[in-house]
Parts: sequence; C-alpha cells; structure tokens
Amino acid sequence: MTDSIGTGGGKPPPVPAVELAGITKRFGAVVACEGVDMVFHRGQIHGILGENGAGKSTLMKILIGLVLPDEGRIVVDGAERRIHDPLVAADLGIGMVHQHFSLVEALSVWENVALGEKGTLDPGAVRERIEEIGEQYGLAIDPDARVGDLPAGLRQRVEIIKCLRRDPQIVIFDEPTSVLTPEESEQLFSSLRNVVAAEGRAVALVSHKLDEMLSAADEISIMRQGRVVDRQVPSETNARKLARSMVGRDVLLRSERAALGLVGGDEQGHKDMGSPGSRGPDSQHPTLRIEEAVARGPGGTKILDGLTIELHRGTIVGLAGVEGNGQRPLGDLLSSLLPLESGRVEVDGNAVPAGRPGAMARAGIGVIPEDRHDSGVVLEMTVAENLVITNPYYVTRRSLIDSKRLAAFAREIIEEFDIQCDGPAAPMWSLSGGNQQRVVLARELMQNPKVLVAAQPTRGLDVVAIEYMSNRLRTAAEEGVAILLISSELEEILDLSNRIVVLRGGRVAGEMSRSEASLENLGLLMGGSTG
Amino acid sequence: MSIATTKVAPTSKTWRRIRIGEWLLLYALSIFGALLIAGTLVEATGGDWLPVLSALLDGSVRRPGRWGETLGVAGPLLLVALGTVVSSKAGLVNIGQEGQLLFGAAVATYFSFLIGGPGPLNVVLILLFGAIGGAAWAGIAAGLLYWRGVPEVLSTLLLVTVSTQTVAYGMRWEWLLLAPQSSRGNRNQVSEQLASNNRLPRPEIFGNEFPLTVYIGLVLALLLAFGLGRTVWGLRLRLLGHNPRAAKRCGVSEKTFGVGALMISGGFAGLAGGAMLAGGGFSFGNYQFMSGFSDNIGWTGLLVALVARERVLLAVPIAFVFACLRTGSSFVGSTGVEGRITDVIQGLLVLALLIPPAVMLLRNIRRAKAAATVRV
Repeated sequence: MTDSIGTGGGKPPPVPAVELAGITKRFGAVVACEGVDMVFHRGQIHGILGENGAGKSTLMKILIGLVLPDEGRIVVDGAERRIHDPLVAADLGIGMVHQHFSLVEALSVWENVALGEKGTLDPGAVRERIEEIGEQYGLAIDPDARVGDLPAGLRQRVEIIKCLRRDPQIVIFDEPTSVLTPEESEQLFSSLRNVVAAEGRAVALVSHKLDEMLSAADEISIMRQGRVVDRQVPSETNARKLARSMVGRDVLLRSERAALGLVGGDEQGHKDMGSPGSRGPDSQHPTLRIEEAVARGPGGTKILDGLTIELHRGTIVGLAGVEGNGQRPLGDLLSSLLPLESGRVEVDGNAVPAGRPGAMARAGIGVIPEDRHDSGVVLEMTVAENLVITNPYYVTRRSLIDSKRLAAFAREIIEEFDIQCDGPAAPMWSLSGGNQQRVVLARELMQNPKVLVAAQPTRGLDVVAIEYMSNRLRTAAEEGVAILLISSELEEILDLSNRIVVLRGGRVAGEMSRSEASLENLGLLMGGSTG
Repeated sequence: MSIATTKVAPTSKTWRRIRIGEWLLLYALSIFGALLIAGTLVEATGGDWLPVLSALLDGSVRRPGRWGETLGVAGPLLLVALGTVVSSKAGLVNIGQEGQLLFGAAVATYFSFLIGGPGPLNVVLILLFGAIGGAAWAGIAAGLLYWRGVPEVLSTLLLVTVSTQTVAYGMRWEWLLLAPQSSRGNRNQVSEQLASNNRLPRPEIFGNEFPLTVYIGLVLALLLAFGLGRTVWGLRLRLLGHNPRAAKRCGVSEKTFGVGALMISGGFAGLAGGAMLAGGGFSFGNYQFMSGFSDNIGWTGLLVALVARERVLLAVPIAFVFACLRTGSSFVGSTGVEGRITDVIQGLLVLALLIPPAVMLLRNIRRAKAAATVRV
C-alpha cells in the first residue's frame, strides 16, 4: 500500500506518466479517498477495481480537475501539478471517457465531436479527423450518423473519439462497459489496446467487473472504502482473489457457482413443486402463457413474430439471445406497454388484454424493466411514492393517502431490502442505480406477483449487488413465483435458470433444460443463420 | 453504494438552510433588478418613479375600497392558475385559458337567463355552467390530442381565436346571448344584465366589498393542494406527468387521465369566467357579458401559474401581486405616465420571478451530475 512505484507487470519506463501520492479527499464526515498512491505508466492499462462507492470515481475526478483533493500530490511527467480545473487537465493531456454519455442525441456524430471546441468550425476537417481516428484505432464510425440512432456501443465510440481528438497522453475510462453488450465490450477492449500500443499512452481503466480487469489490465489496483487495499498483476491472480480483495470477504462468483453445479439446474424446479401441473414445459397449467404473439414496431417491422412461451410456478426461465431479437418488446408486452396484432397472453388460463393500461400488473405480472428509468421508477417522486405507484391502496384510508402509513410502509421496505437512502421522503434521483433497482425489485415483489419478469436485472451492478439480486430471484422462485429472466449475459442465465429459451428474430429459436445447456449450444442457437 | 448515501445524510439539513437563503437572496436580487429597470423606464419616458409607485399602491391597496377591487381580480386569476396547475401536473401544456374562460362565461350567460330557480341556487348553477363550458372547450383540444394526435399546445392556443369568434356569433342573436333591444339601448354587443338576486354576494369587510370568488378560489386551492398531494388521483396524475410509460404500466390510462386533466383545467378557467359574470362587478362587465369579456384574465392567470411553477399554494400570493398590478394600473394614468407601464412591469416581474428557479435548476443539474459521478 505504501510503495509509490507500481509492482507493475511490464517494464516500467523511467518517468511515469502520472504519479498520485497520498491523495485524500473527504466529503463531510465521509472519506472518499484516503492516502491513495498510484502510478500510471505509458503504454500500460492500469486497472482500478472496486465496488460502487469505493472511491474510484472520486480519484479519477481529482485527476481531471473536477474535484480538488484535501491532501496529496499529483505529479505529471515528473513535474508536480495542481489540477484545479478540467481545462488544466486537458492542457496536461489528461482526457476522460465518462460512464454516462454526454452526447446530444439530435446532433450528428461530427457535430457532437466538434461541440465544445473553440474558434471557427470546419466540418470537413472534423469529419476527416473522425475518420482518421477511426482508422488508427479501429473505431470506425459514420461521422454523419445521428447519435440518437446509434446503439450504446457506437455512442461510446463517439465519446472515445471526442476524447482522443484532443490527443491526450493519459486517458481515463470510467466504467466503460456498464452500458455495453458483451460483444461491444470486446470490441472496446481491442481498440483500447490499440490506443495504448500505438503511441505509448497511459490508460486508467475504472471498473468493478473482474473478468474485464483480468483480460484488459496490465496492473490492477484494488480500492475499498477509499483506500488502495491491494495491487495485483493479472497473470498472477484470478477472479476469486480479486473479488476477495475488493469486497473484503469471500464471494461466491456466478461463474464458479455455475461451474460447480451449485445451482441445481432443473432440480430446483422439482424440489418445490407443489402441484403436479407445474412441472416442465409439458405441463397442462402454465402460470403465464404467451401464444403466437405478433406485434409490429413503429416502422412496421415485426418485433414479435409468433412468439410462444410458457412459464410455470416455481421455475426460472432464462431468455437468451442477441440483443434486439425481441427481448425489449416482450418486456413491453408484459408491462402493458405493447398491444398485439395477433396472439394472446394468458395468466392462469385467463386472457389478459395486451396494451391496456395496467392490465398485466393487475393480472399478477411484476416487471423489473430493462431500463428502470423508462418505466420502472419516477425520478421526480419520492422513494415512498415510488414504492406504491403500482398499488397505492396499501397506504390509503378511505381512498386518501395516509402519509403516516406511507412513511411507515416505506421505512419497513427500505429496511427489509436494505435500500440505502435518505429516508422515505428522499427523491428517487438521489439514489444510486443499485438502490433504485432495489426499489423496483421491492415494489414488484410486494405485489405478490404470480409472474416476475426480470430484464437485465444485474446490468451495471457490482458483485455484491449481483449476488443480492440473484438470491432474491431464487428465493422468489422458491416461493412459487414464475420467473422470466431476460439477460444478455449467458453466465447469468446459466446460473439462475431451470429452463432456457433462446430468442431470435422475435420468436423462440430453441429451448432446453439447464442440464442440456452449455455456452456452446446456446451460442449456436443465438447466432443461428436462419430464423 | 453505501458510502454515497451516508455522504449526503449528515449535511442535508445544513444544505437545506443554505439553500433557502440562496433562494431568498436570488428572488430579492432579481425582483430588485426588475423594479430598477421599470423605474429607469419610467424616468426615461419623462415620468417620476416615486409617484408612479405611489399611484400603483394607491390603486391596488391604499385607497378606500381598492382592497376589495384587487381581491376581486385576484379570485379569477387564482382559479385560472389552479386549472393550469392540474394540466401541467399531468404533463400537458394548456395555454388556451383565455378562450376557455370566455366560452365558459358565455355558456354561463346563456343559461343564466333560462334557469328560474331561487337566487342562491341560480348562482351555483351559473358557476357550474361556466365550469362546464370551459371544460367542454378544453375537451375539444383533449379530443384532438387523444384521437387525432394534435399537440395540445397548438390546439388550446388556436382555440382561443375560435372561442372569440364563436362568442361573437352568439352576440349577434338575441336568442343566444344578445340582450333584447329594449334593455341594451344604443349599446351593441352586450348581454342582458344578471338579475340582482342571481349575483354572487359581495360582503363588505372593513369598508371593502369584494365578491365571494376569492373564497371560492381559496377553498379550491386548498382542496386541490390536498387532492394532488394526498389522494390516489393526485398520485396518478403526477405519475402520468413525470413518466407516462411507468404510468401506463401501473394502470393509469393516458387517455382518461389526460382528457380528464385537460377538462378540469378548462373547467377552472370556465369557472373563473362564470365567477366574473356573477360576481365581477365593475371590474368585469358589470354583470353583463360582452365582447372582450375575458379581458386578459386567462392570459394573466396562465402567467400566475407559470410563476408559481405547479405549486398550488404559491399561486395564491402571486395571483394577488398580479391583481395589484392590474388594479393599480388604473391609477398610474393620473401621474402623466402611460398606465400600460404596468404591463411592462408585469412582464419584468414574470421574468424576475422565473430567473431564480432557472438559475437553481441549472445549478441542481450541475450538482446532480457531479453527485452522480462521485457516487459511482
């Protein structure tokens, strides 16, 4: 912890690009960073691993001048500097690719890249530069595409180009993969390699994902509660060791559980099967049945194309598939947000009108939506209000909302689900993403749903939060809820599901039990050439 | 995750105190700025700011009887503002209150001469018909929005013109709104005067008589504040305004709630129109309907709501201030300065009152962004 020169992997060049020494930052009573020492070398990717709130982002903000440290020195290229402003950082050649995109959706790619530039605007030159950078680093993109039309992976590419355009010597990536699909992440890391290798830049990679660190970083600093608690080199460590340093205790990793067969596969489904009818796909009485669902998107294309799926109580069905193959429309359908052109949805044998406001929720379908800000929470309302929007009658007395009852109800749930917030009256936007997700989970489980749809429930969460969410879903299944797990992470699906369904082109491409499934045959089904 | 929230907790109380101070300071500064500009303007046009200010105060509150006059104006302003809050909460932009008010008043006028019950009942019915008229007029915009997809911003605004024309048509015919020849004398374009027992009482307090409209407005403001904050209806309305997709998932129909909110909004404007007819006195047509009856109350009420920023109880004092400017303006003419200077002052005040929220909003966004990234 005290060594000021990295125990680094490669051969450390004589003068490090950046040296942080004894950086301390306090916010009120809370210490965000305490005596942090860190060294970034040219030509290396330095991973900074830690849970949400470990102080990684604060440290990076100090480096680019968004936050001033209380104590400590920053040495850039051998000279001590005081970075009190992002402009100073930019002058020193420090650039950052932020976790949340700061792009204007209505503008084109080159316009976004040119934003914030001084002097006269030369569209031709900007376009040229974008293409140049694209070639150099494998970040090809159409400069005239509208950012709003681009998927997350390409948007991030725009952010990276924005940053690289200023030719920074030190590049910080803050949780770059939290919004990316696995394929997009892979692409990102290969171009990241180029960025480093090409001109000997130094890269700081902030993340809480273990495998990312292992595959991409040359050296890893692990932070916990504001301190650097460990330094490791990927070649000499593994995911389990990293997780232990990061969390401070042993965590059972998802991949390990899947590998060790602790999940139980189909067994779990058998164990708590009360009624004979709730077993396997051949059952007569599915809890949820979607039959030949067809729906069209705004452009007239079929987004659901004869989708048929059955869910049974007490089982978790994992829905795998490359994103954009009907996962989102299916989530919308079960959130009463999408009307069907043909086909039907049944809960316990009763038809539910698709697209009628609240119909699915009334029929007993709870949803943890893919994008919680889209239909999951209302950021402007309080935590307590968010907990009762689906069913305010928990807390009403003669159809008036009883504020005492509301607060008490909320406090109970906040405690039960361990939601970190400033009390029931805290506005929803003041919560971190993981805690907002817990609010959604708590609210949906409170309804005692017959069916729970969990769409990408752990995206962007750290290992502890993932563990929590996974356990909750498992418990819910044990209590008899039929769960539909929509995920782009195959590991998650293999870890939790009893049965796996692969979606392609808005319909089911294949189905198998957990014991038959492997990464290989799932991958084959997902990428199948004909629909 | 855990650090982030504890980070905020210990300081939140002090923050609140600092922030209230900031608010007050910002408001004081920007109002002072507006008054400074207004004063400069008066001086520049050859007047004196002190007599103008004095005349404004005389006209709005100081002279005998002016309190009542001002409150009489504040009542309808408040009603219009309340309606506007309802539609804004549902995420709808209703800016056609002027037309809804006028149409509501016209409907109230039409029915006031058909009903023949006892006085008090008639008054209630007149107000009710006003509300129905306004709601129906807003209902056109609501219908266009939900069945044809016409943005309500455009339709409500354009329907103001249509309302003026429709009412003007009604004023041409004695079987509609026009008073019979015998009772209108040489005046055109007026309706018959309400019978004295069909008028809202104007109780006298401390030498000021003012219509019951004020009380109606206050009671409705309290009811609305309660309804929005404490009923399931209010919760769902706000839910719809903030996140229509979440609302739909939770069973709030955009159609029923949206149409309802827009019609309630229009209903309030129409109620204001009915109240101006039944209790407006000399400020509003002297119990007679005439062309131009709405007299900008709809527009000004919209401004009140704009400044109050969806806060029901804040609309009460703001409606009063705007009413003061209006009643005070009639006295300003006597100082030799154009009375319409108050329109300029009003405009400046609206700007001044909107600047602090805008500044704070920008700041909050910056802070939230900073906090969001610190938290990770």
